[in-house]
Amino acid sequence: MLELRDIHLEIDGKVILKRLNMKFEIGKRYTVLGNNGTGKSTVANMIMGMEDYRPQSGRIYLDGVDITDLDMSKRAQMGITIAFQENVRFDGIRVLEYLTLGGKIKKSLEEMKNALKLVGLGDEYLKRYVDGSLSGGERKRIELASIYMLDPKYVILDEPDSGIDMMSIETINKFIDALIKRKIAVITITHREEIAINSDYAYLLCAGIVLKEGDPVEISKYYKSMCDACDHPNEIHLVKEREMI
Amino acid sequence: MRIAPDYSKEFEKIAEAYEKSGGKADNLLDKRIASIIISGDKVIGLNNVEGVEIEAGKQDLGVWAKIRILKGKKIAMPIHLCTGFLGKEGEQRINFEFIIEDGASVNFISHCSFPWSTKLTHKMTAIVKIGKNATMTYADAHFHSEEGGVTVISETHAIVDENGRYSNTFELTRTRVGKLVVKMDVDLKDGAIANLESKVRGKANDEINIKESLGLNGKNAHGIAKSTIVATDQTHARIINEAFGNAPYSKGHIECTEVTKGNQVDVATLPVLKVTNDLSELTHEASIGRINSKQLATLVAKGMSEEEATEFIIKGMLS
Repeated sequence: MLELRDIHLEIDGKVILKRLNMKFEIGKRYTVLGNNGTGKSTVANMIMGMEDYRPQSGRIYLDGVDITDLDMSKRAQMGITIAFQENVRFDGIRVLEYLTLGGKIKKSLEEMKNALKLVGLGDEYLKRYVDGSLSGGERKRIELASIYMLDPKYVILDEPDSGIDMMSIETINKFIDALIKRKIAVITITHREEIAINSDYAYLLCAGIVLKEGDPVEISKYYKSMCDACDHPNEIHLVKEREMI
Repeated sequence: MRIAPDYSKEFEKIAEAYEKSGGKADNLLDKRIASIIISGDKVIGLNNVEGVEIEAGKQDLGVWAKIRILKGKKIAMPIHLCTGFLGKEGEQRINFEFIIEDGASVNFISHCSFPWSTKLTHKMTAIVKIGKNATMTYADAHFHSEEGGVTVISETHAIVDENGRYSNTFELTRTRVGKLVVKMDVDLKDGAIANLESKVRGKANDEINIKESLGLNGKNAHGIAKSTIVATDQTHARIINEAFGNAPYSKGHIECTEVTKGNQVDVATLPVLKVTNDLSELTHEASIGRINSKQLATLVAKGMSEEEATEFIIKGMLS
């Protein structure tokens, strides 16, 4: 289990996350839902262990081991990984090399083809470069395929639909299903309730606190009816509302 | 190609050096492939094929060679140029003249290998004349010793006539550089196209000086000059990319990427754009600094160490 306990995180003196508690179990599908600027990507970056995203207080546990002070590389080696919202280009690196991280990951050609197929890309992409010759959507798919190749335990997908056309949300769901089948926990960061409703459990984030959590359908309904129209209420209001729940 | 018996031992060593630099020595003996093999100040092998006329001879401290591709001839297999120096110390001067006649098409693969030299100065001057509607590509790869005692001074002056095409790539990425001075300039006539590209990796106290210059002198001439430098340790690098838009509808783009690793590198890039015709368009891109942090994070989040990720990214950039 991956557990965030009573996290408080500030960046440049600004409180981003406050009294945050979350739990993620292997083989389950989670959504962290919320409008832009509510701290969703901060949660993702903090779990991954990115510099500048270390909590000032609170702890992060992976299967009972405190990983709060471990760097990103160590966390990745322990089975946590992320598909960042923004896909970067890698000049001179072919998809085939990228999927195997230059041979570091030992996988067959067939497995690579399967990973590409899962995200709707053909074998011909193996020879393409992960550079500007691919569209943003194609690079996003390559990124997801590379995540699939890693055999992680916990996958964070930060806004996986960004850079992909609306039609491809089905592809994302199919991709997540494939991860779940392999007993991987998937934590999807999104502002779209149509992604959230397919999960097993949802957290609704607002102004850095968990406003609601639980049944994804209920959370999505609440999000759609309340958060869409909400003009980022101040934190005091939220904290009061949270305390009333 | 037949190697004279006097040179058979020397050829073996040159072939070994050639393979170290990434070449395939078998190609040097293939009669279907035009080639020239230079060792120090001697031509130890030369092969012509139909449409190719290579003449060569000895000169003070080196070799001259005149390579002519006859009018309209499309040379199917790349011409191999193998230049080596087997001694530890010395100087080698090479003068090439390339004449690609109208409508001809040819690719060159050049390997300069000095793997055993600890104190060598290699001076190469090339005059390139590409005729109307002719095409020439020239891929030059260098392999030096790891002592850092090799100095390379390379100058290329090219003229590309109407609708001609010229591509020149220079690579020195697998070994120490030593000291490198590369100057490439190209004079592009009406409709001519040129692509100049350099990729160099410096380490220890290597010195890298590159100046690429595009003269867009003809209507609709197009050119790109691109340099990619990876500078580590105490590498000193100075890169100048120039483009001169002197004719209507000419377009030029210059680009320099310098990746630095370590706090003792000393690198600079200077883009120079000058337009003397208001219908010409010139652009440039330049970046200097450490590896992109987003690229690094993407790979580290997949389980690579920062060192592994850096190497992976650099390898891609220089490939």
